[in-house]
This record gives sequence, C-alpha cells and structure tokens, in this order.
Amino acid sequence: MYPKKVEKLLPKVQKPGRYVGGELNSTVKEKSEVEVRFAFCFPDTYEIGMSHLGIKILYGAINERPYFWCERVFAPWVDMEEKMKEENIPLYALESGDPVEDFDFIGFTLQYELSYTNVLNMLKLAGIPLKSADRKELFHIVVGGGPCACNPEPLADFFDLFFLGDGEEVDVEVMELYRRCKREGKSKADFLELAAQVEGVYVPSLYDVAYNGDGTVQSYTPKNGAPATVKKRVINDMDHAYYPDSFPVPMIDVIFNRISEEVLRGCIRGCRFCQAGFIYRPFREKSVDTIDAQCRAWCDSTGYDEISLASLSTSDYSELIELLDRLHLWTEKEKVSISLPSLRVDGFSPELMERINSVRKSGLTFAPEAGSQRMRNVINKNVTEEELLHTVNVAFTEGWNRIKLYFMIGLPTETPDDVLAILQLGQKVVDAFYSNPDRPKGKGVEVSLSTAAFVPKPFTPFQWFGQDTMDTLHEKQKALKGNIPTKRMSVSYHGAQTSFLEAVFARGDRKLCAVLEKAAEQNFRFDGWDECFDFDKWMKLFEDCGIDPAFYANRERSFDEVFPWDHLDYGIRKEFLQRECERAYRAETTPNCREKCSNCGASCYKGGLCVEKRENMV
Amino acid sequence: MKNVRIWFEKKGAARYISHLDLTRCMSRALKLSGLPVWYTEGFNPRIYMTYAMPLSLGVQGDRECMDIRLLEDRDFSEIVSALNERLPVDIRILSAAEPVKKFEEIAYADYEVLLETEQAEKLKRLLRDLLSKEQILVMKHGKKGDKEIDIKPYFAGADIRKIDDTCLCISFRLPCSVSGSVNPSLLLDALQREEGEEPNAKIVRKRLLTGDFSEIQ
Repeated sequence: MYPKKVEKLLPKVQKPGRYVGGELNSTVKEKSEVEVRFAFCFPDTYEIGMSHLGIKILYGAINERPYFWCERVFAPWVDMEEKMKEENIPLYALESGDPVEDFDFIGFTLQYELSYTNVLNMLKLAGIPLKSADRKELFHIVVGGGPCACNPEPLADFFDLFFLGDGEEVDVEVMELYRRCKREGKSKADFLELAAQVEGVYVPSLYDVAYNGDGTVQSYTPKNGAPATVKKRVINDMDHAYYPDSFPVPMIDVIFNRISEEVLRGCIRGCRFCQAGFIYRPFREKSVDTIDAQCRAWCDSTGYDEISLASLSTSDYSELIELLDRLHLWTEKEKVSISLPSLRVDGFSPELMERINSVRKSGLTFAPEAGSQRMRNVINKNVTEEELLHTVNVAFTEGWNRIKLYFMIGLPTETPDDVLAILQLGQKVVDAFYSNPDRPKGKGVEVSLSTAAFVPKPFTPFQWFGQDTMDTLHEKQKALKGNIPTKRMSVSYHGAQTSFLEAVFARGDRKLCAVLEKAAEQNFRFDGWDECFDFDKWMKLFEDCGIDPAFYANRERSFDEVFPWDHLDYGIRKEFLQRECERAYRAETTPNCREKCSNCGASCYKGGLCVEKRENMV
Repeated sequence: MKNVRIWFEKKGAARYISHLDLTRCMSRALKLSGLPVWYTEGFNPRIYMTYAMPLSLGVQGDRECMDIRLLEDRDFSEIVSALNERLPVDIRILSAAEPVKKFEEIAYADYEVLLETEQAEKLKRLLRDLLSKEQILVMKHGKKGDKEIDIKPYFAGADIRKIDDTCLCISFRLPCSVSGSVNPSLLLDALQREEGEEPNAKIVRKRLLTGDFSEIQ
C-alpha cells in the first residue's frame, strides 16, 4: 500500500496506478514477524518490471520463508520523481509503503546496461549512500543479479555483492547467512567475507585490480580468502527447482499482461553475437508434466487467459508438439490461449501453427539477423535463405501478409555488400509473396526490416571485437535507407548512439564507476528512453572524467588481453570463445549443442543437455 | 440464462486504475470465481459484463454497479463471496441481486468531495463566496476542444460541512447519464481559478440515481 503522503501527488501524474500496489496475490506480511526485509528493485517503470519473469520467481522464493519479506520497488517515471522530490517523499516499496531505507537488502536486477543510471538514481531517491564503502553497518546490503552481472565492474563501487547465474537458491542462502550474522552481531566485513565463500556470490570489494600503462587490466587479486575465480550458480534440475504458484497480478495494463511460463533455460544454438546464448548454458528443459502443472497453477491463481511459453528459443523445446497437445486438453475448455514469443525461421511449421490459436494474422516476426549467407555463417545463425523463404511461404499460404525481419548491422567482417544483402533478402520475401498462388487475396505484402547496431558483449566469441564507429554505422544506415527497392518494404533502425553507450558499459571496467557516480549527481536516468537520453551530455561527462569511451566500445582487443570479467566463471572457457572467434572470421559455422558438443566448458555443471549427450555417447 | 446485478466499491489503490483496467480485473476475478458466467459469442469470446457508468480515474466509488449473465442459478451470497475472494483488496463486492431498472434510466449521481486543509474555516468561507457568485466559469475540455462553461447551476445547492479543523466535506448531486454528465472536479478547477486554492481533494461517488432521484436497483 502506498504511503498516505503520496495521495496528493497521484492526481497530478500520468498512470498513477504504477505507484499504489494493492494487487491480487501481492504478499503483505506483519512487519514485526519478519527478520530480514528485501526490497526487490527493478530499475525501470512498473509496466516493464511487472512483465519480467525473474522478479516473480525470486519474489516467491524469498517470501516462501515466513521470516523473510520481499517487496517490489520500481523506478518512478520523471513526473512522479519530480513530485516526490518536491514533497520529500523517499522511494518506497509497494507492499508496505515503507521507505526503501528501512530494508536490509536492496536488490537490483541488471537486465540492460542503459538502466545503470536508474539503479543509482533509485538509491539516491531512497536516501541510501551510493558507495558500498560508505555503508558501514551490516544493513542496506546492495545486491545485484541478472545478465549484466556477468561483467558488473562499472557498478563495482556501488554494490556489496553480485549473484552470478541462477538466483533461486543463492539469493535465499545469502539472506540466511545475513540473518545468522545479524544474530551473532557480526560486522558487514565479516558477512561479506563469508558470503564470498558461497558459490555464485561475487564480492567486488574483495578484489584488487591493477592496470597496465595503456589502461587495460593487468590483474585481479583476491584478498581475505575470496576465491580467485567466482563460479556462477546453476540449477540443474528444472523440474524440482523452486517455481511460484502465484504472483502479483497488475491492476493496470503492463507490457506482457499474461502468464509467461519458462519452458527451458539456456540455448543450444551458439549464435556468436548472443550473450544469453552462452551465459545461460547448459541447456535445461522442464518436463511436459512440470510445465502443464505450473501453467494450471498460474491460471488458477491469476485469472489470466493467455499463456506465453517463454525461453530463449521455444521452438527448440524437444517435445513442443506434445506439450501443446497436453495443454490443449484443458486450455481450450477454459478459454485460455497459448502463444510462442520467439520463433526460429526453421521452427515454423503448419502443424505448429495449427496449435497456436492466438497468433494474430496481422504480423509475423523472424530474425535472420544478417542479409548474406556469408554473414550469417560468421555469426553462426544457422538459417538459410531457402528456410526463410519456405517459412514465409507457409505464412503467406496460412493467410499472413505482414512480415517483420530483424537484422543487425556492424557485425564483424561486414562489407557494404553484406549490408545491401539485407535489402535483397527483403526483396526476395516480397517476390515470394507475389509468386505464391495461395497468398491472401486482395491484400498487398508488407515487409518491414528492422536493423539494430551490433553491441559486442562479454562471454561471446565477439568479446574482442571493436564496435563499428558511429560514423561507420550511420553510413551503413544511409546505404540501407537510400536503396529501398520497393514501396512494399520499409526499413527502420535503432540508434547508433545508444548502442555505442551500451558497448561502453557492457565491456567496461571499474574506472567507469566514476562516470556513473557523476551521472547520478547530474540526475541522469531512463537512458533507455528517448525522452531522457541525451548523448551530448554523456560525451561531456566522459570528457570531464578524462575517460575515452572509444577505448571500451571501438577498440579491438588482442587475444591475450586480460578482461575485467576474466575472474568470473560462467563455465564457458575463454579458449572456446577464441576458437569460435577464429572460426567466425573464417565464416565457418559450428553445430548446435544437440547435433554435436562443441566443448565450450558448460558441461562442468553436469546438467541438462550436456549430461544427456554424454549418456548418448557411452 | 440469468442477468445478475452486482454492486461494488472501488477505493484505495483501485481508485487509480482506469475503467478499462477495472474491466480486466473483474474479468479475471469472474474467471477465477468458477461462476458459470456467459461469454460473448464473437470471434474472441469474452466474459459478458456491462457497467452502469464508468468512473473517472482517481474518483472513489462507494456503490458502483455492473451486470453479468450466469448460465445457471447461484445464490447471491455465493456470488458475492466467490468474487471477493478473487478481487484485489480495494475492489469489494457489496451485494448481488436481480436487476430492476435499466442502466439507461440513470440520470444523476451523488458526490462527496473531501478537502484537506490547514484552515478549514477559511476554506469554507472561500467556497461559500465562490458558490454565491452570479456565474462560475471554468474551462471544459471536450472532444471538440476547450470551451468555457458556467457551472453555477450545478453546484449552487452544494452542502459544505466541516468534519474537523483539517477537513471539509462538500456534497452535491450532478447529472450523470449516458447522454451527458458533469464532472465533479470542475468545482475544484473553479476553486483554483477563482480563489487560487488547490487543497488535496478526494472525490467520492456515493450512489447512482434515476430521474426521480431514487437509487438504481
């Protein structure tokens, strides 16, 4: 429930329903009966945060224990922020309405680099000192997790610890440790040293960093017994992992206003640009029985009538048709529809489409990622032009006439011809429509090509690659815009400036903490939103801090460079990534995990497909 | 098939959700309740619900009204408890009954506006001054643009009571129907425009009335 003082602000802001809580299934506990309070902070708006699956799982996992209480906190939009500052109302949690300042743990999920300024801004709005070193008591423990925790160095000064990998178990373990330390009267330093011994916990303050003269990392030295490398946490058995049977149902409309059921974790594909494809290995599926039971439980607790089967690549679920048939035994009767969020070009079949009743006939989206076959081989997106044309023909025959295709520009080894091949591929899709005798009659085809600038990320084979400069990216965008062959096709692109900034922080080191601290001082926030993003202000900031952002974004690294994330172990070995990088430059593809193990290192976790494969080979 | 009229209140956090969001909440609760609700028969079947009169964002409703259809008979008390179990805490079902009048017969609504102030006496005097003016002009934002209207006829009979030193309560009755309604917040606009006062206000719609001022049943 919101604090009384907020009531007078609510009539003056957009979408006041973001700030009031009170949802069905939100967990409200008696304050005096809980020992440890966790403020789960999502550094973006309510509508985005409430669409995120991770927050629902962790919220449930923590609240399952009677002596813990996890509440939700979202970033107030700029209008509300301004009013809260005017009235001196600190950031509050939605369940109790209590200020975040009252909480033992302040946890952030780090989903994208451009939310870093929101993280710091939320700490500021909560009135909590930004730097870990300035929070001396065993209280206000600031923790983070999520994909960006695989290189959290630009945030190292602000966080007490990071969770690497799957959070369901390790979050709760660290809270238990805190509870024990609190009872025994231990200091924050004691607690952090003990926490560093837990698998999946990285305490940045326990590592000294030395730099070379050229600004690159020389070494990370652990101290006070911290491990030399921190291994990410993995949950092997997805059928027995904690999964909630309910979650707070937003009263206002949010981005994904439906159930999303996670059907698998990890990805077999190994697309070389995709960080998620590597850091979430090994590939682990839930059984049909588990998914069926979890979907029923969520329908029974939320009242939603749509289930989205979520994962990095749902068409790779090995028993997808069986799963859909099982779900249909009850979903049709109960008027619940099923959708698949991410379809691979080669995973689209008439028998699948027959079973997905909720896909609107209006538009279909596929991601070939690159225009030429050579380029697709470089990035290991093992999809051929024939497969794409086959798939769109299936779609046209089934009545679709709008196709959206996602591409990247600025990929390693990309030539002007590779860029123009994006348009040629679009043209072939247009031609396919008109030569398909079963196409929807009386309609024209619309093909929209969406292009994003490639951002090299840690733990991918392209982690050594220097991102294209913004000038180069702009030239490539201009070449696309200037050569659109037909009115049936449209091209859009996402900003080169935000991609540049993302690239800076994705592979950044601790020297960037100073930049973020200054950004917070100057009230930077919502950099992922066009309304707030100010590129020139960012460049001024880098200049004031004496930091060259191109050092992080555009510099090509040598294979022997020590990276700021080398002491973090996600199972994927650096030698494997180097091998993949070399294959990429030779335009050689690598088979997916199901076809053949490529020996990436993730099998050290002895879980999922890695183990199944080993069994097959015996 | 049977029509059932359901009375509910919308307060607290639920005041801040739009009418469309309210219908989504109700639809989920109806689905969860397991009541034998009737679905519309279009291409996308949805649970049939029809509302007496949408409530503006931020306004509390003490006795709002909607109709649903059930395929089988159920006790009214069972309907009330089944829904209350499944709704957010700030949307409460008060009662259910067989509909008597049509929603088209609704013509008026009673409102209360609670004003928070440090000087209740002074604010009361300002309000009296305001309401005794010949004309009370405010800007009305409509679909065809803004226009100036005189709200004096609607608010002349408003009753102003002091609850305590920090709170005033104004009660009035306004036209509220499918053919047109007067927004209660126009009074607050006038108070701000004429007297420069912008106290914290909570608007409550108390009840919906038919043309002869009897409560809708």
